[in-house]
Amino acid sequence: MSTLILKNIHKSFGAVDIIRGVDLDIRSGEFVVFVGPSGCGKSTLLRMISGLETTSSGTISIRDRDVTHVPPAKRGIAMVFQSYALFPHMSVADNITFGLRLQHAGKEEIARKLTEIADILHLTPLLDRRPKQLSGGQRQRVAIGRAIVRNPAVFLFDEPLSNLDAELRVSMRVEIAKLHRRIGATMIYVTHDQTEAMTLADKIIVMRSGKIEQAGTPDALYADPDNLFVAGFIGSPRMNFLGGILEADGQVRLDCGATFRSGILPAPTTPSAPITLGIRPEHFTGTDEAGGTVDVRVDMVENLGGTRFVYGTLKSGQAVIVEDRSESALRDGASISAGFPARKALLFDAEGRRIRSSDTANAMAAQ
Amino acid sequence: MNDRYASATTSPSFNPWPAAIFVCLTVLAVLFLAPTIGVLLSSLKTTQDIALGKLWSLPTSLYLDNFATVLTNPAIHTYLLNTLLIAVPATAGSIALGILSGYVFAKLPFRGSDILFLAIVAGMFFPPQVILIPLFRLFNGLGLLDTLWPMIFVHIAMGIPICTLMMRNFFATVPAALREAAIIEGASEWQVLSKVALPLSLPALAVLSTLQFTWIWNDFLWPLIFTQSDDKRTIMLGLVFLQGQYSVAWGIQGALSLVASLPTLIVFLFFQRYFIKGMTMGAVKG
Repeated sequence: MSTLILKNIHKSFGAVDIIRGVDLDIRSGEFVVFVGPSGCGKSTLLRMISGLETTSSGTISIRDRDVTHVPPAKRGIAMVFQSYALFPHMSVADNITFGLRLQHAGKEEIARKLTEIADILHLTPLLDRRPKQLSGGQRQRVAIGRAIVRNPAVFLFDEPLSNLDAELRVSMRVEIAKLHRRIGATMIYVTHDQTEAMTLADKIIVMRSGKIEQAGTPDALYADPDNLFVAGFIGSPRMNFLGGILEADGQVRLDCGATFRSGILPAPTTPSAPITLGIRPEHFTGTDEAGGTVDVRVDMVENLGGTRFVYGTLKSGQAVIVEDRSESALRDGASISAGFPARKALLFDAEGRRIRSSDTANAMAAQ
Repeated sequence: MNDRYASATTSPSFNPWPAAIFVCLTVLAVLFLAPTIGVLLSSLKTTQDIALGKLWSLPTSLYLDNFATVLTNPAIHTYLLNTLLIAVPATAGSIALGILSGYVFAKLPFRGSDILFLAIVAGMFFPPQVILIPLFRLFNGLGLLDTLWPMIFVHIAMGIPICTLMMRNFFATVPAALREAAIIEGASEWQVLSKVALPLSLPALAVLSTLQFTWIWNDFLWPLIFTQSDDKRTIMLGLVFLQGQYSVAWGIQGALSLVASLPTLIVFLFFQRYFIKGMTMGAVKG
C-alpha cells in the first residue's frame, strides 16, 4: 500500500525552478532517502511534503488523501530538523508532549505515551532536563521522540545527523535504523551523505537540479546506475571514469591505449561512438580475468589497514583510484597493472546515459 | 580577558590598562551618583540646614520629617496613583502592540513589510513638540482634556516604534526551525508566539518594560499639556507644583524626588532577574 504519492510536483521561487516535475510513490513502511548535492532540491521537496513550503503545481497525497493544500499539522507527518529545533524553555518531557498538549490529549494518554517513548529512546532519566543540559546525541533523540509520539503516517528527517560528530553519527545512524525496524513507520530521510543513504535506505532517490535522476534500492543504484551522475555520486571512493571509444564490433578503446571487448554493440548509426567507461576502485583485480588492463603510475597510497587505495595516473593523464588488497610493497612512482572484468565495466554515452548490454536491454523490455 | 589577568599576575611588567579602566569607571560612577546623593542628603536636612548652604555636608541629625510630610500628603497619593494609572496600561499597551507587529515583521514578512517597518521605526525620530498642538486639539475635540486618557494613548502610540524595533530584532534571533517545529506539531501562529517566541523573549520584554515604564513615569511634557486640575496631575508635575510661591522647600522636594523615583527602581529590580542571556541556548546546535 502506498503511503505517500507525489504527482508531477513543481516548485518555483519567482522565475527559478527548484523542483521540476517529481513523481514518486512511497510504500507503507519504506525507508526512503533523498540524496544529492547541495542545492539539488532535496530539502525543498521534503519541506513541500511537510507543508512548510507551498507546492506550485502537482499533487501530494498521504494515505490516499490529497494534502497538497492542507496545513502541516493536519497532514499526518512529523519532522526531525537538522538543528533539532527543541524548545529551549521546556523540559525534555514538555518538548516531547508539546504536540499532544496542543491537541488537548488526556493527561493519562500523555503520561502513557511519554513513558513509552522515553523507554524506546532511553530518555527516561533525562525527562526533567532542559535541552541545553543535553549532549548533541541526546537532543537528537528528544527531537525524534517528539516526532514519533504523535504516531504520524510519515516521518520526515531533514539531515538529522549532520550536526553530530563522526562517531556519534555512526551510532545514531544505527539507532535510527533500529527504530525504523521497531516501529515500522514510513520514513523519508534527506542527506547529502551517500554513506548514510546506502546504509539506511530501502530505496534511494538520487536528485539533481530539482529532478529525480534515479530511484532504486542501494544495491541497484550501486551496481546498475542509469547515468554518469548517479554512478559518480553513489559509492566512496567514487567510480573511476575513463574516456574512450566504442567500436562497431563492440571493442572498447580507452584513451590510455587499453582495449577490451565489452559485449555491447553501439547503435548502427553511430559506429565508433565516444563513451565513458565507469569502473569502481574495488573492481580492479589482478590481470588474469577477461577484460581490460590499464597501467597505473602510483601517485599516493592510502592505507586503511584492511585495504588500501592507490591514487594513480594513467598514460593518458587521467586520474584513477584502484583498491588494492595485495600485500605487496608499493612505492610512490611505481607502475602497476590493474585489470578489471568486462562485466563490471559500465559504459555511458556522450550524454552521460548508461549504455546497457543487449541482454540487460532485453530483460528490461520483457519486464 | 583571562589571559590578560593571567599574564598580569605572572609577568613582572605592569599592565596599566585595567587600572586606567578602573579609574575611569570610578569617576563616571561618582559623576552619575553625585546628584542622587545630593538629593538624598538634602532630603535628610532641615530647611534651616539647607539655607546655611551646606549642601554636601552630612546632616546634623537624621531628620525624617521631609519624608513624613511627603508621604502623608493626600495630594501626593493622588499624583502617584495617577502616574501609575497611566504608566501601567501605557507600558503594557505599547509592548503588546510591539510584540504583535515585531512578530509579523520578524517571522511573517510580506510584500512591502520592510518599508512599513522602516516607516514605523522612523516614528522614533519625530520630536513630540511637532505633534503637540495637533494632539491638544484632537483631545480637546474628543473632550478628553484633563483626564488621564490622552497620556495613555500618546504613550502607547509613541512607544510603538521602539517596542516594534526591539521585539522584531529579538524575534529575528529565535530560529526559524523552532517556529516550523511548533507549526508541524499543530501550533497556530498565535500559539507559536505565545508558547514559543514569547517565553524565549523574557530578556527583551524585561528591558522594554523597564525602559517604557521609566520613560512614561518620568514624563513631564504630556501631563503638563493635557491636564489642568490638581487631581489629574502626575507625580512629575506634582514635584514642580509643590514649590512654594516665594520659596523652594528643598528638603521636601528632595524627599519627593526620591519617593517619585522609587517605582522605577522597583520595576528595574523586579525585571533584572530576567536580564539573563542564553535563553535560546540548546535550541539549536550552538
